[in-house]
Amino acid sequence: MTVLALIVVLLPLLPAFASALTARARPLGVTAVFAGVATLAVAVALTVHVGGGRRVHGLSGFLYLDPLSGFFLVTIALVVGLASVGSAAYMRAEEQRGELSPLQVRLYFIFFAIFASMMLASFETGNLGLLWVLIEASTLASCVLVGLEGKPVSLEAAWKYIIISSFGVTIALVGTLFLYFAASRLPGSPTEHLTWSYLFAHSGGLSGESLRLAFLLALIGYGTKVGLVPMHTWLPDAHSEAPSPASAMLSAALLNTGMYAIIRFQALTHAELGTHFAARILLVFGFASVIIGALFIVLRGNYKRLFAYSSVEHMGIISIALGFGGVLGLYGALLHTLTHAIGKAVLFLTSGDLVLRYRTRLIDEVSGVLSVTPLTGAVLLLAALAVAGSPPFGLFVSEFTIVRAGLARSSIVLVAALLVLLAIVFVALVGAAAEMALGGSPARPTGEPAYRDRSGRLLAGTPLIAGLVLLLLLGLWIPGGLDRLIMHSIHAIS
Amino acid sequence: MRTVAVIQSLSASSPEGVLLDIAAVTILLCAFACLGSKLFDRYVIYYGAQSIVLSFGAAVVAIHQHDAGLWALAALTFAIKGIGIPYGTRHFLIERFALKRDIALSTGLSTSLIVGAFLTAFAFLVIRAGTVGNAFVAEAVLPISTAVILLGALCMVVRRHTIAQLIGWLIIENGVFLGAIATVATFPFIVEAGVFLDLVAAVLIMIAFVSGLARQLAEASAPELRQLTE
Repeated sequence: MTVLALIVVLLPLLPAFASALTARARPLGVTAVFAGVATLAVAVALTVHVGGGRRVHGLSGFLYLDPLSGFFLVTIALVVGLASVGSAAYMRAEEQRGELSPLQVRLYFIFFAIFASMMLASFETGNLGLLWVLIEASTLASCVLVGLEGKPVSLEAAWKYIIISSFGVTIALVGTLFLYFAASRLPGSPTEHLTWSYLFAHSGGLSGESLRLAFLLALIGYGTKVGLVPMHTWLPDAHSEAPSPASAMLSAALLNTGMYAIIRFQALTHAELGTHFAARILLVFGFASVIIGALFIVLRGNYKRLFAYSSVEHMGIISIALGFGGVLGLYGALLHTLTHAIGKAVLFLTSGDLVLRYRTRLIDEVSGVLSVTPLTGAVLLLAALAVAGSPPFGLFVSEFTIVRAGLARSSIVLVAALLVLLAIVFVALVGAAAEMALGGSPARPTGEPAYRDRSGRLLAGTPLIAGLVLLLLLGLWIPGGLDRLIMHSIHAIS
Repeated sequence: MRTVAVIQSLSASSPEGVLLDIAAVTILLCAFACLGSKLFDRYVIYYGAQSIVLSFGAAVVAIHQHDAGLWALAALTFAIKGIGIPYGTRHFLIERFALKRDIALSTGLSTSLIVGAFLTAFAFLVIRAGTVGNAFVAEAVLPISTAVILLGALCMVVRRHTIAQLIGWLIIENGVFLGAIATVATFPFIVEAGVFLDLVAAVLIMIAFVSGLARQLAEASAPELRQLTE
């Protein structure tokens, strides 16, 4: 199992090595597709192993896998797989148009690979210090992707992203230090004082004052990565300026990596501080995020920013679910993590096709997608419906579970407020997508087709269809294996 | 129990404790000097001085604990943060781009110094006595490191220039590192090394941004980067 765990981290790096040999998007894309799909396969194998409640320990706690890590591992590997296929198509199209230089293509594949590898590695470590290191490393790698296009706006977005995220993550480091300090009265070696499984087993012995500080600082620090309001300011800029497959990775994978760290910290506070302490704070941040997300979705303007604010809103929903707590709340939070990751990956990959075809990111300048490119238009409409939480897609089931958790464990006022906000988002998001997809014929002539050859169209279409089918399946039926995995994950943190 | 033993043995009255205390106070003064400097090269020099004092503090703790890992970190801090970054910033960024010597400020110097003083007082109020335990040097150093973190953040807020903001972030790092060596010096070495590597990588990427990728960014001050508002 240790070997498999290492392979999951090393496999995504293949395109980075391949880029030493060539700077052409085509062979690099093929390598990325192979690496992405193989990573997903190995991650599933690993998760099947730990899914039954087993744990993998090794390297004195630096390697640690439990069902929760397995769940996130498979979710992120799925996103990496979808985004790799999307990258292969998108980068080839950009190269054919001469939009990107060979150096940029090379940089893209190198840093995409490192980004994926660091995120996957962060789920495989039980050491909270190493987790911090890996999350910061993933920030650095993704920053290059955000600034890849080299235009003043993308550099501005990258600068904002790295300054705000690095600052945020530094605060998380202070939180980690306080957690270590909170553990100083426990027996055991210094390394164990940062090992999550050891801390969780002894969480009753952590000193309360330091633990409280540790959780708050970690929530603010990692919350910056998650994009919780008010630490979200980097998020819409970075998501809208990065190449679309990289936006898909940011939104569907990176945000969840931050959330994973918060879930681990939250689990440690229960024994000493009770469940209410962390829950209340998560509810406050969650509602703030949903409110701000909803307000900016209504504003519209740039469709990639619109999708980015939808991510802020969904991360808010997940923290609200964590705040509701209980088995139902956690179940909803985890299921929503998975369904949102798939939905948002599809939506951002679709936005890549729109950018290639229309050469604009403004909603008002895009119309009639359904008649111009039927597949992209249909996927755009369906994916927007799915992300807005419409049945029969997976996000409806997860949001419904969260609402049920709220009714069971929290006040009806909060649940009602959440439902109103969700309705606003639904109308605004689906309205914008419908305007783009249906609408009359485009106001200005569209450029040439996004993908010139059949294989390009096939590559670009595959992840969209695969993602939508998965979302539909999850909306109709939750496989027994996934259900068991989520239940064991909940068991691992409570 | 090893962690507690280490912190407790580093009492405020032991020679090492006194030295670390003096180092911490000097670091705080350097942070104020950065905040109050109007000229770019001074600002960078004060940052370098702060890092050198910090590496001295790390060496004191390393002597106390006979910890080879901490020695290595002290040496790296001295070489990279104390010498490398200030030198690199001056020679490769400021002189090459012939930046204006003045740092653009959004707030007057005296105002920012007064705000800095309030932040320092706030840090001492928040980190109450008893968080760490009485009579240990960590009790004095922890509020100071918190104050340095806040002052670094203030530097980022009141400075308009991208490089100046970057150095504000590095001052925050110094504050975190100071807090770490004073309270939890037994942090596993592999983690500390990872943290350090990450910081170096972050600085390199930021410098690459400022210099190579975007001259326009180096010459622009952050408020001019205002296309992405919404």
